[in-house]
Amino acid sequence: MSDARVIDTGDTPARPSAATAPAIGRGLRVPGRGRNAAAAPVRFTFDGRTITGRAGDTLAAALLADGIHLVGRSFKYHRPRGILSAGSEEPNALVGTDRGDGRYEPNTRATTAEIFEGFRASSQNRWPSLRHDVGAVNDSLYMLFSAGFYYKTFMWPKSFWNTVYEPLIRGAAGLGAPPTERDPDSYAARHAHCDLLVVGAGAAGLAAALAGARGGAKVILVDEQAEAGGWLLSEPEVTIDGRTAWTWLADTLRTLAAMPNVTVLNRTTAIGYYHQNFVGLCQRLTDHLAQVPEGAPRERLWKVRAKQVVLAQGAIEKPLVFAGNDRPGVMLAGAARTYLNRYGVRVGDRAVVVTAHDAAWAAAFDLARAGTTVPLIVDIRPVVGGDLLAQARSLGIETLCGGTVTDTRGRLRVSAVRVNPVDAAGRAGGGRWVACDALLMSGGWTPSLHLFSHTGGKLVWDEADQVFLPGRATEACRCAGAGTGRFGLAAALADGAAAGAAAAVDAGHPAETPAFAVQGEGSMAGTACRDLPTDRNGAFAKAFVDFQNDVLAKDIRLAVREGFRSVEHIKRYTTNGMATDQGKTSNINGLQIAADALGRAAPSVGLTTFRPPYTPTTFGAFAGYNRGRLFEVTRRTPIDAWAAERGAVYEPVSLWRRARYFPQPGEDMHAAVARECRAVRAGVGLFDASTLGKIEIVGPDAATFMNRMYTNAWTKLEPGRCRYGLLLGEDGFIRDDGVIGRMAPDRFHVTTTTGGAARVLTTMEDYLQTEWPDLNVWLTSTTEQWAVIAVQGPSARAVIEPLVEGIDLAPGRFPHMAVAEGRICGVPTRLFRVSFTGELGFEVNVPSRYGRAVWEAIHEAGRAHGIVPYGTETMHVLRAEKGYIIVGQDTDGTLTPADAGLDWAIGKAKPDFVGKRSLARPDMHRPDRKQLVGLLTQDPNVVLEEGAQIVAERDGPIPRTMIGHVTSAYWSEALGRSIALAVVAGGKSLQGRTVYVPMPDAVHAATVGGTAFLDPENTRLAV
Amino acid sequence: MLLITCPYCREARPEVEFAYAGEAHIARPADPSAVGDAAWRDHLYIRSNTRGLHRERWRHVNGCGRFFNAVRDTVTDKFAATYKAGAPCPIDFAREGAER
Amino acid sequence: MIQARMIQEWKTLAGTPIPEVAGRLSVALAPDCARFSLRVRPDDRAALDAPLGIALPDRIGGVAVGAGGHALCLGPDEWSLLLPAEAAAGLGERLGAAVTVPFSLVDVGHREVGIAVSGPAATLALSSLCALDLDAMPAGSATRTILDRAQAVLIKHDAEQYRIEVWQSFADHVWTLLEVVSREIALDL
Repeated sequence: MSDARVIDTGDTPARPSAATAPAIGRGLRVPGRGRNAAAAPVRFTFDGRTITGRAGDTLAAALLADGIHLVGRSFKYHRPRGILSAGSEEPNALVGTDRGDGRYEPNTRATTAEIFEGFRASSQNRWPSLRHDVGAVNDSLYMLFSAGFYYKTFMWPKSFWNTVYEPLIRGAAGLGAPPTERDPDSYAARHAHCDLLVVGAGAAGLAAALAGARGGAKVILVDEQAEAGGWLLSEPEVTIDGRTAWTWLADTLRTLAAMPNVTVLNRTTAIGYYHQNFVGLCQRLTDHLAQVPEGAPRERLWKVRAKQVVLAQGAIEKPLVFAGNDRPGVMLAGAARTYLNRYGVRVGDRAVVVTAHDAAWAAAFDLARAGTTVPLIVDIRPVVGGDLLAQARSLGIETLCGGTVTDTRGRLRVSAVRVNPVDAAGRAGGGRWVACDALLMSGGWTPSLHLFSHTGGKLVWDEADQVFLPGRATEACRCAGAGTGRFGLAAALADGAAAGAAAAVDAGHPAETPAFAVQGEGSMAGTACRDLPTDRNGAFAKAFVDFQNDVLAKDIRLAVREGFRSVEHIKRYTTNGMATDQGKTSNINGLQIAADALGRAAPSVGLTTFRPPYTPTTFGAFAGYNRGRLFEVTRRTPIDAWAAERGAVYEPVSLWRRARYFPQPGEDMHAAVARECRAVRAGVGLFDASTLGKIEIVGPDAATFMNRMYTNAWTKLEPGRCRYGLLLGEDGFIRDDGVIGRMAPDRFHVTTTTGGAARVLTTMEDYLQTEWPDLNVWLTSTTEQWAVIAVQGPSARAVIEPLVEGIDLAPGRFPHMAVAEGRICGVPTRLFRVSFTGELGFEVNVPSRYGRAVWEAIHEAGRAHGIVPYGTETMHVLRAEKGYIIVGQDTDGTLTPADAGLDWAIGKAKPDFVGKRSLARPDMHRPDRKQLVGLLTQDPNVVLEEGAQIVAERDGPIPRTMIGHVTSAYWSEALGRSIALAVVAGGKSLQGRTVYVPMPDAVHAATVGGTAFLDPENTRLAV
Repeated sequence: MLLITCPYCREARPEVEFAYAGEAHIARPADPSAVGDAAWRDHLYIRSNTRGLHRERWRHVNGCGRFFNAVRDTVTDKFAATYKAGAPCPIDFAREGAER
Repeated sequence: MIQARMIQEWKTLAGTPIPEVAGRLSVALAPDCARFSLRVRPDDRAALDAPLGIALPDRIGGVAVGAGGHALCLGPDEWSLLLPAEAAAGLGERLGAAVTVPFSLVDVGHREVGIAVSGPAATLALSSLCALDLDAMPAGSATRTILDRAQAVLIKHDAEQYRIEVWQSFADHVWTLLEVVSREIALDL
């Protein structure tokens, strides 16, 4: 910031002299201090520079130990940003992490990423470098980027949106770059069931787990951090039951580890809390490892169903809102204490503290004792406890109670803070500058209620502490510890133990509530505040509320001035709380400021809704095993492997993969399909029809059931005969079709379309179970019991006859639409004489494990006849030449049997069948219904596009009335020209007329005709 | 993922085993041909679209295979009851004031 | 004559064994058996016990042992029979001759593949595929359920012995997933 904008230019900042200037990067690690005091050195790089940290460090801890606060540039203004917190709530310190072998992840919080030998991290949203960033010009243009700037700035002219605004915004704003490589990692998933799930392994969570587990309840205790302990890790001097915090922690974890009914999961975040105590946990397994074991999953998503849940998520420290509160070196006081006590890192040599809460005083005292100069503690409150003042005095720390902070300086790190007294009326007096290299702030604590809120649990406003607290729960759930607003270690232990014991009892296990004696705990009193008072014009103050989305206090006030009243609207207009941290450090401050601007109480303004996941979660974790080969089930027929060995090209058909065609060397699809078509029409072809749905319908009422389900009449169908069956919905539209064989008076072998198999069975079960439960008939899926080999073509009989036993295939004895049981190649078969090609054809059903061998035997036997395997594409051409429909391709759920030219399949004498009543509705008989017709293009070489629209006139105004569309179109090798099926409004009355099909290359004329292009008299079937 | 109690299995089972099957207690007329066009249209297409307690059908398709009926609150997603097909609804809708 | 040639059965998953996790987990193809889907009204069920040689369990999830095989009650009117070949031969004819109540017997011997999952980590392995509380599932019970995305029948013989019955075309998915899960369990992360 230039001096010109400083209104009171009179008070120049006191700059530290050369003698007192800290030697950055040296001596910040306090010997013997921290959980990892004795850990091995670990080398990693940040923006290419090699830095040595310690095993057990987070990236943030290691950078701070090296004197680095500047780690990134902000989203909108590209302002230099540092490390604000020491946990997953971090809004600022987002980095790209590279764990090698293509394992790159953007937007990782430096405060949670664990370093290891060879770890690489890089700063984001800066160019050309972190220290010199061109985008920082946005910081000077900040007046343009006020609340709602997207809506205001980029509205007009419209044409600028695609050409100017969007590229500008996308280029300038944003976080890290997405990875360019395919994710090399794998991910895992696991279901778990327990009596008690405890979220958070701080003091409250540990006490809850202990109390819950002692009576035998199955307990899962999870914590997002690398080690359990929560705040105990940051406050080692306190004692529990006469033991130091860390000794008690180690003892407790040992106790829990020895209990077979307890599972403790570290590095595991409870990301979402759903109905009936279903909680999603994301466990990070390998991100912290220098050597990832071969094949090890990176993360595991636990899907936990708990009888009872205890939420011991603790509380998140609030930043204070004042001008320049985002400068690197400005950090939460509790975070500074964590870095010191847990990692042995002093976050600076000269730290000023500004606070509204007692806890920050303890941070100041710890740092002062560890060698950091603390020149000043500014407390917002006019009065603080005498013991705090006495301690400060004894450590030589100046104190200012009833003070405020109004500005900071320092280009890439805070170098001075402007401090003002505040009078009894709340007005800030004149400021003075105090030199520092770290500014620690605390606005008190926000109970972490995210998971509670996921369940729709009600939050209640606590006026005294100015916090939201958990209210009525909607699930079997208890909150414990700081999350309930009961701050402090003794309270957390007592609360956790009570919650754990009560939960265990509710889960049906005995429990007793252990008691804990705590000594040496600091006081946890404080006050809540909105943006701090200032003597300057607040319209120019860059007092940040949401650090990640660069939302200022004045943005929220502006939104209120512009008429926004609901916190949900203010959130969306200003983007406060909408960044990847979901406002963990900003929501309450934003609410307080909005409430102040509105002159209303906070609860009436409301709190925005928390939604899963609690912290950003990888897509991989959600996908779990379902990627690559396991992305989705790929169903393969018993003959699939044979086709694969012969180079078949596949296509997906519902979950199946089916051989589409069998290209010979040098053939494209067109050539292969033409060859396969010629073979079937002239000789014989072999087709894998195993995917056809099959349902065995058995029982004395089987024929009655068939009569009610299908349009056709079944009573007179003799055993040993087949019939084409047409199935409608109750709305009268075609749902499915297939050939159905009567195997015995009480047994039908039903076939369905490949994609319709499950749906048809469901529909049948529905009617049978709920409408006609009196019928004695049962349905069994036999789709996979039978492999189905279609042998089609004039030579079909000659090929299979030598292989078949027990069935006389002579034309008179086994005519078209006959079915019989016998043997083929020595194994049982249900042999159907049916044709989906218009040629003499058989469908050989054999038990599926014999499918491949029988296929090979037929293929071998067919060599002498020039047998050719063919795929679904050829099948489609051959059936289209005959005008046989494919349900779902030539029909779309709006075609009646009459529309499709299938009224012959309706049993007119039947009193009822599914869909019959709807066929009598007046609309079903309108002459302008879309009806299935054949189309022949005037240019025989043009194959129309399936889905192409049809119009009545070649020319005319646009938009033209579309009278139908092409449903099937192929090159017919048999006819030496193209053919097409189409649905056209009033199509039956347009026979012989010309219609037009606009396609990208030209408008093609076509003549409407019948649907059977080849052998309409079916002479080829009767051989 | 919800737990749904199958009245046939008499056990709470994970939602992935079930399929939703539309509003319940809409019986197919015994003789559809005797039903007028408007009444038949209503039978086919008109549903209550309830906010609150809703009587609906589910199928334990990946379990015992049975269709059954349920009362579920469409606001909270909570099941108030599940019962066998053909059985009367155990919740008195008139008393609950939840009927449309 | 080609008929005389021995027809080889094609075994879906043969040739892709899953390495055992020593002392903890074994996943293997279960020996083939005959399988039938038997449907009869619950009130008529007892009429089939004697000709079958198995007392059909009357509770969904129940498993009865008899005739050298198992009868699983999967639904109120549905039983799955897993039988040795000799018990299966001519079963339809025998039941048809002996039973007067209406019923349906359908041979589904080739529809499914059996997979045996056993060892102290069997429950853990299956928990990656199955949302059911397998610890709470009684030993000697069976149920139809979803394994990842495949419908299957899961039989729990005891805490360390399970059998999966899954349709042929879904078996590869379940098998591949069990292979991945076996590797994961071997790593013990």
